This record gives sequence, C-alpha cells and structure tokens, in this order.
Amino acid sequence: MEIELEINGVEQTVEASKSDSLLDVLRRNGYTGAKRGCDTGACGFCTVHVDGEPVKSCVEPVTKVRDASVETIEGLGEQDDLHPVQQAFVDNTALQCGFCIPGMIMRATALLETNPDPTEQEVREALSDNLCRCTGYKKIVEAVLDAAERMDGGTVAADGGKAFEGNERVANSTECAVNDCDCMEGGQ
Amino acid sequence: MGPRAEPSRPAAVEVSAMSDDDETAKADGGTASQSETVEDERYEEHPLEWDEPDNNDKAPDERDSVSHRTEKYDDRKLVTGQAKYTADYEARYPDLAYAAVVRSEIPHGRVTDIDTSAAEAMDGVDAVLTPESDAVPDTKYTSAGQSYPEPSPWDMRVLNEHVRYIGDPIAAVAAEDRSTATAAVEAIEVSYEEDDYVTDPEDAFDEDAPQLFEDGEVENEIVGHDYDRNRMAHIGGELGDVDAALDGDTHVHETEWETIRQSHANVEKHTSLAYTDEDDRHVLITSTQVPNHTRRQLAHLFDIPIRDIRVTKPRVGGGFGGKQAMVVEPIPLALSLATDRPVLYEASREEEFYAMRSRHPMKVRARTAVTDDGDIEAIDLYALSNTGAYGSHGMTVAGNVGSKPMPLYSKVPNARFEADIVHTNTPQTGAMRGYGAPQGTLALEGHLDEVARDLDLDPIEFRRRHHMEVGDLDEIAGMMGGEGANRRIRSCGLDECIERGKDAIGYDDLEQPDDDHLHRGVGMALSAQGTGVAGDELGAAQIMMNEDGSFHLQVGGVDIGTGADTAFLQIAAEVLGCDEDDIIVKSSDTDVTPFDYGAYASSTTYISGMAVKKAAEDAKERILDWGSKLLDEPVEALETGGGTVYSETSGDSVTLEEIGYEAAYGDEEREHILGKGTHCTEESPPPFAAQFADVTVDETTGEFEVHKLVVAVDCGVAINPGMAEGQIEGANHMSYEMAVSEGITLDDEGRAEVADFDEYGLPSATETPPIESILVETHEPTGPFGAKSVAEVPTNTVPPALSNAIRDAVGVRIREMPITAEKIEAKLDEREARLGDL
Ligand code: FES
Ligand code: FES
Repeated sequence: MEIELEINGVEQTVEASKSDSLLDVLRRNGYTGAKRGCDTGACGFCTVHVDGEPVKSCVEPVTKVRDASVETIEGLGEQDDLHPVQQAFVDNTALQCGFCIPGMIMRATALLETNPDPTEQEVREALSDNLCRCTGYKKIVEAVLDAAERMDGGTVAADGGKAFEGNERVANSTECAVNDCDCMEGGQ
Repeated sequence: MGPRAEPSRPAAVEVSAMSDDDETAKADGGTASQSETVEDERYEEHPLEWDEPDNNDKAPDERDSVSHRTEKYDDRKLVTGQAKYTADYEARYPDLAYAAVVRSEIPHGRVTDIDTSAAEAMDGVDAVLTPESDAVPDTKYTSAGQSYPEPSPWDMRVLNEHVRYIGDPIAAVAAEDRSTATAAVEAIEVSYEEDDYVTDPEDAFDEDAPQLFEDGEVENEIVGHDYDRNRMAHIGGELGDVDAALDGDTHVHETEWETIRQSHANVEKHTSLAYTDEDDRHVLITSTQVPNHTRRQLAHLFDIPIRDIRVTKPRVGGGFGGKQAMVVEPIPLALSLATDRPVLYEASREEEFYAMRSRHPMKVRARTAVTDDGDIEAIDLYALSNTGAYGSHGMTVAGNVGSKPMPLYSKVPNARFEADIVHTNTPQTGAMRGYGAPQGTLALEGHLDEVARDLDLDPIEFRRRHHMEVGDLDEIAGMMGGEGANRRIRSCGLDECIERGKDAIGYDDLEQPDDDHLHRGVGMALSAQGTGVAGDELGAAQIMMNEDGSFHLQVGGVDIGTGADTAFLQIAAEVLGCDEDDIIVKSSDTDVTPFDYGAYASSTTYISGMAVKKAAEDAKERILDWGSKLLDEPVEALETGGGTVYSETSGDSVTLEEIGYEAAYGDEEREHILGKGTHCTEESPPPFAAQFADVTVDETTGEFEVHKLVVAVDCGVAINPGMAEGQIEGANHMSYEMAVSEGITLDDEGRAEVADFDEYGLPSATETPPIESILVETHEPTGPFGAKSVAEVPTNTVPPALSNAIRDAVGVRIREMPITAEKIEAKLDEREARLGDL
C-alpha cells in the first residue's frame, strides 16, 4: 500500500506493508539515523517526532502516521551547521559510540520545545526512556542543560551561573586541561 | 601450580617510603606515591628509568593537541544521523538477503533430525543451511578474538549437532526479507535426543555430573583441563609461602563473594554483512573489535587464504568485549557462499541476551593473614568461574581475577591465586570490560574492608600501608605466566586518587540524616588494571602526506565508539605540528590499514597510539628534511608547529603545504612523504582508580539510596580529557549495574529469563546516581605522551565500594551481587535475632 506523509518538511508517498512500523519505512527510505535497538519500544534509539511529539518509531504502525508530519534527526542540522542541541552534544563530549544519540537528541529537542528551561531532574526524567550504554548519562544531561542555555531558554541564577544541583563541575568540565587554552571556545 | 610459578620470592627489595607528600617521585611529574628501590639483579631486567624520547614528556603548556578537549572526530556525523553502522549499509546492496538462525531449545543433547522441507518450500527463502551443508565448515574453532594461537580451546562449530545450551546454533536461513527469514526459522523442525544437563558450576565440577565435552571433542586444549569434571582449565601461581603465613601467628580472615552474569547489552546488536566482490574476494562489513583476528579466524574456518578475506569495520555501537569475538560472522559468510548473494545477519535483541556472550559469573574466595600490627602477610584468592557452554576467554578472564587486582598490594610478601574454570549448560560467556578484574576486585576490596573493620583499622589507611607505588617491582601480575608479566611501576597516582576522591565525596564530614532509622555511610575501593596484554600486542600505522600539506592516517586500531580515532589524530597532530583538521583518519579495514590486534585489554591508545606516534615521527623526519632543503638550514635547527616547519635559530619558516607541493612536484627531486610505525612492547603499566560511594540505608526496610559515586583515575596523561572522563563515567555506570542489577538470570534449564531491555537492569538516566570522575595526571614514560589506559579500571570498583558503604552505614555485609534491599533487610533481621539471643 501507499502511505502519504511529510518527512522533514517534504511531502512523500512511500510504499509500505500493513505490518510495517514507522521505523521500517523510515530506514527503508534512507532515514537510517533512527536506530533499531529492540523493536519493542524498550530502548528509545528509534525516537523521532510525529506531529511534534517524541515517538518510538519501532512500535508506531506506519498506518497510524498517514498524513502526519514526521521529523527525524536528518531534518535537524547539517554537519557544518548543527542544531544547538547537536552542537551542545559535540561540545560536551556527550557521546561515545553514538548509537543512542539520534534518539536521545530527538527526545531532548522535544523536551526543550515544551520546557525550555528544565532542571537537571527534569532532563533526567525526560531521557529516562532512552538508554545509553556508553556514557553513564552525565555528559548527555550536561549537554541538554547547556543546549537549553544556548537556545536562550535558561534563566541565569543570582550568582550569574546556571543553577542546577549536584553538578558543580559542569563549568570546569568544558575547560581544557592546558592552562589558558581556548580550545573549547567558539565550538570548534 | 601454574606453568611459571616462582618457587619463592627473594627477600624484600623495596624499602617503603610511606610517601609523605614531599617525598614524591620525579619519575612521573611529582604526583606519585613512590618506593625507594634497592638495586639488585632484577633491576637490570626491569629498570625504573625508561629510555624515553625527549618529545614524549611535554609539560602541559607545551602540548598543542594532546590534553585538549578536541572535538571527537566522528561526532558531527553521529549527531546528524549520517554515520553508518553495519545495518545502515543495507541500502547499498539491492540484492541483499537476510539471515536468521535456528537455535537449540534444549540445554544438552544431540540433534537427530532437522526437517527443513517446509522452510525450503517457502517463497523468498534462498538457502537453508544445517551442519551437513557444504557451505558450512565443520572445523573446530573458538569465537574468542585473541591473538594466534588463541589461549582458548577450539570447542565450537558454526552449526552444531551436539548442542550444549539453549541458544546453540543449529541451522541458518537466508531469505528475501527479515520476516521471511524469521518465518522460515520457525518452520524448521528439529528433533533431539536429550542428554542430562547441569547448570550450577559447583554441581558441574563433580565427576558424576553430566559431561559437556567427550574425548576428542576439543582441540587446542588449555592448561589444567579435565573434561571428566567439566573443567576447561585450571590455573594458579604463588609467590612466597602462603600456607606458612596462614598457619603463622596472624589473623586469618576468609570471605566469599559472588558476581552476576552481566550482559554487554550493546546498543548495536551483533551485525555482520558478507558478500563476494568482483575480484572473487570475501568481504565482511561487521561490528567487531577485532578485524584482523576475525580475518584470520575466518580463513582458518573456511580454508580461504587470509589475503582473500577483507574485514572492514564501520561505526560500531559499543563493544565492551562482546565483540572481541567472532560471534556471528561465519553465518552470513556461509550463507553468502551458499546463495551467491550479499547476506546481512543482525541478531535479535532476544538473541543478544541468550545466544551472544556475557560476563563470567564467579564465586571468589579471599583469604588473608594479617599481623597484630596490621601488616598483610599473605593474600590468597581462589575463583570458581562459570564459563557456560564453551570456553572462549575462560582461562584468560579467570587469570585476570588475580593478576589485575592483586598487584595493587605488591608489597605483600606472600600471594597466591588459583582458579577452576568449569562448563555448565548455560549461555556462552566471553570477554567483558574489566575482564575478570571486577570479580577479583569485589572479593579483594570487600575482603580488605572487612579485615580492616574487624581489626579496628581505618580501611583507607590500611590500604595505604600496602598499596603499590612507583619503583615497585610487581611480580604478582606475572606469577601465573601467560597474560601479565613482571613489571616495574613507573607511574602511580594512587595517593592523589585517594585524597581527591575523599575530598569530593566529603569523607571527613559526612552528615547523618535526622531520622533515626536512616544511616549514611561511605565505602571505598581501589583498583588497578593493565594497559594492553603484556608482551602480546601489536599495532601499526602509516601516514601519507598530500601536496597541500594535509595527511592521511591509516591505522589498524579499532574505534568502537571510544574515540580512539580522535586520540590517534591528536597524537599525530602533536608530532606533525599541524591542525587536527588537516588529518583524515582511516582505521580498521584489513585491506587498507596496517595490522592491529584490535580493541581490547585497554590497549588501543597505548599500543596503536604509539604506532601512530612512530609513524608521525617517521613522516616528520622526511618533512624536516624537505624543510631543510627549502630553508637552506640544517635539520637540527628545525621543528614543526602551526602547520609549518620553522627554524629555531633564524625564525624563518615554510608551510607544510609548500613542502607538500615541493616534494610532489619539485624540479630535481621528488618524494611521496610517507611515515610508518609499528609498536609492540613487554610493558603493561597499570592505571589506577580510587572509588567512593555515598549511601543512605533505611534500617527498617533495607532500602538504600546512592547519593553519589566518585571515582578518581590515574590514566597517565589523558590524551583527550573529555573523552577520558566519558570513559570513566560510562565504566562506573556499568560497574554500578554490576552492584545493583540481577544481570541475565536463568531458569532451571539454563534458559535466559531476560529477552529485552525492559527485563534487563540497565540503569536509566533517573536510576543512575550522580557520577563524578576525577582525572589524576601522572606521566607514564612507556606510553604515547605519557598515556596509559583508562576505560576498564573504573568498571571494577562500584560493587566493593557499595558493599563497603552499606557495611559502613548499617554494619551488615552483602557479598553476593546484586546488592538489594531484601538482602540488606535479611541481614539486619539476622543480626537482630542474634542480638536477641544473647
Ligand atoms: S528500537 Fe524502538 S525503542 Fe528500541
Ligand atoms: S553513546 Fe553509545 S549508547 Fe549512548
């Protein structure tokens, strides 16, 4: 059967079978940024946006997204023009193998849409359906908080620094080990 | 005992200089704990001084590329979803067939019949392979991706008639699409003759137990094997006389510890794509940590010359040891040979938990003899390791239970380690981050904490009196022969790790909660690992210069998501004096990149990174030579930096681009500037960690909350501090899982009870306590720019630190992982009952 939907702002007609998930259809059509980790909704690696909402595409029947607007990681930023969330992940060394990251970033952008100034706990809760095996989540959480600030949603605490608990090293952690080095400035 | 056990240890040669802070070592930048070393005949073989090239030891402000938080090389393609993992190559092969595997449904027995007729009759099914099929090799092998000859028994076949666990592969299918492949697998009927089975390692280690391997079923047998008792190996080693110390006038403590069957839970499943190219060569695009070993093992299995196999590694979604093995590659290759089509095999998530690999569950017994003065006279560890149905990595992982943690206490005069590694009809085990060290560290660090508390000694001071220091000659790592070797310790930041860890956790000013039933405690544990397998590593790299002054770096080292490519780039840029952006890295393609043992044993930065450094130096020599011609100055006056060759005397300079063009298109002479480097070493310097855990326990329910984990790590010079912290945090998360999660639990028949992520206890973002990583810089003279390993050592420490913290908080001890509220409550109740009886 044919399904009409919008992917990253482009109207498309895709070939699909009734049992296909949205993930099947996306990957078959070249949107391989969404990853297949479990096929049961248990890992979050396949997270995309459907009409602005984060959705695990592996358990979303393609028949349900007829005429919907789907946004995938490929629609966010380009390698030489990253979206602020993507840029924050890169600048905070927030990723290792990267397999969980497209889903993680889609989840994070959905959070920041609705809550532009989240607390650390809110970030952790929003990401709790998206597993990561590599990082222990610390730098990922820091990246999302950093992105909030970059996107200008962040409120500035009374002492001038961004306020969140248990992370007093955040400011340090993006400094270079070499004295007076500006290698982390300017998002290189 | 072991093959190379030393009969006795020479009298102590190190005079401990219980390091006052002002008495620290020069050898590693002044941050280390250090012993004064008395020279003797062994000094020559393992001298403290290391003939280190000048350029290897740079002060922080002299480092242009290393020690900077350089952007990870592959990050931009990863965050935009452009990076390709194996399954993402699907679209490039329109003729692709999909594989699926029929696996044993019984724990032990013989396959008597495989009815493939219904599957073969299905539309879209291309091939059905059974053990009888021509395309399926019947050669014995091990899946362990180790160097040749593998220190693992050849006890497996690609497809099996004698099945030994629920999950053993029996038949394989290739079909037009995934769902047809799965349907075909379901349509295959297997008949069995069932044998008795055994799932408990203690029961298996008995002469009357059902036997997994009969005479003649194993090739390349390992030391100490006794298949009548299901033992695949027995190893051991001793220094001094442990029994004499235990029988002497000392306090003898004995404790026993148990660890979980942890899953790698790799986010990218084992995935492999095989095809034959137009030159009739066999290509595998595969998610592996060991491309060169896989190539060799496939050549062995399929009787194809090594040169006709190409193994190439795209981006990999995590390895952690689970891909230091040729777990799936033979299946798509056999199917592709049978169908003449490219074949993709992507394991299912369920298969990941029951049919791939896991961490060896172990019971470890610790014994010590300690004097009234609190001197440890002897340490004795014994491990019973459950290797599951097959023996891959069985002996070597068990060896590391002793050889990794015990050297922490290299000053202890008598040390012994022994292990029995036994088969059960349970899923296969294999290499996993830490590689035996987590099991040994739990036992040793939990035990020493218990001893200290029992003898009324401060657990930290007790360790401080005995832990390793610069100048020590470690003979424990080498006492069993094989992996590990005697080594001189040239960098050790343990004292600083302990100090900074204590500070960060607030060790000295812990506040107790107001509620009477809540108790807060802190536990700590130390750990040491290695950096590569001593004397059994090889890495190589080459660098080509383009005419515009940019470079191609080709390196065999394997980036499985760790950032290794970036570390290579930083090392090369540091030597060449160019911008990191001017180097293109190509790694892990056996047709193109130089040889490498692969990503395991914490070796990549140290071994492959040193090969990169040597290749860059080789190229730099040619660059300076051309610079000398162009600047008309002697080479000795020249240096590279800022993308130029400049003269330290005249200040004149020429850009690398000018040199590149001149070398390629010069009038009189021309040269392609190439550098090559290859590196192997006998050294394996230990990185160190001090772990702290802060916990509050509710004494009425046993429930506990971990407020914070702090881990301070001495990894030498961190080539990229951001990536190093990431490794530490991720390792600590994995270690935390080992402390609080059930792992893969099995039913009575050895069937995995975990089939998906939601049944497996991988802590989520909300379930993970805050983790603080601290980098303690030392300088390891044998490593590239002072680096040693980082990624394994913080995997070892949370189980003992958390067990110790709970002991500190409420006085009860949990020795069987995972630590749960139920277990704590049961212990508290037990204690209450005991007190009530008095
Ligand atoms: S693949 Fe969709 S949640 Fe795991
Ligand atoms: S970065 Fe590897 S799983 Fe998250």
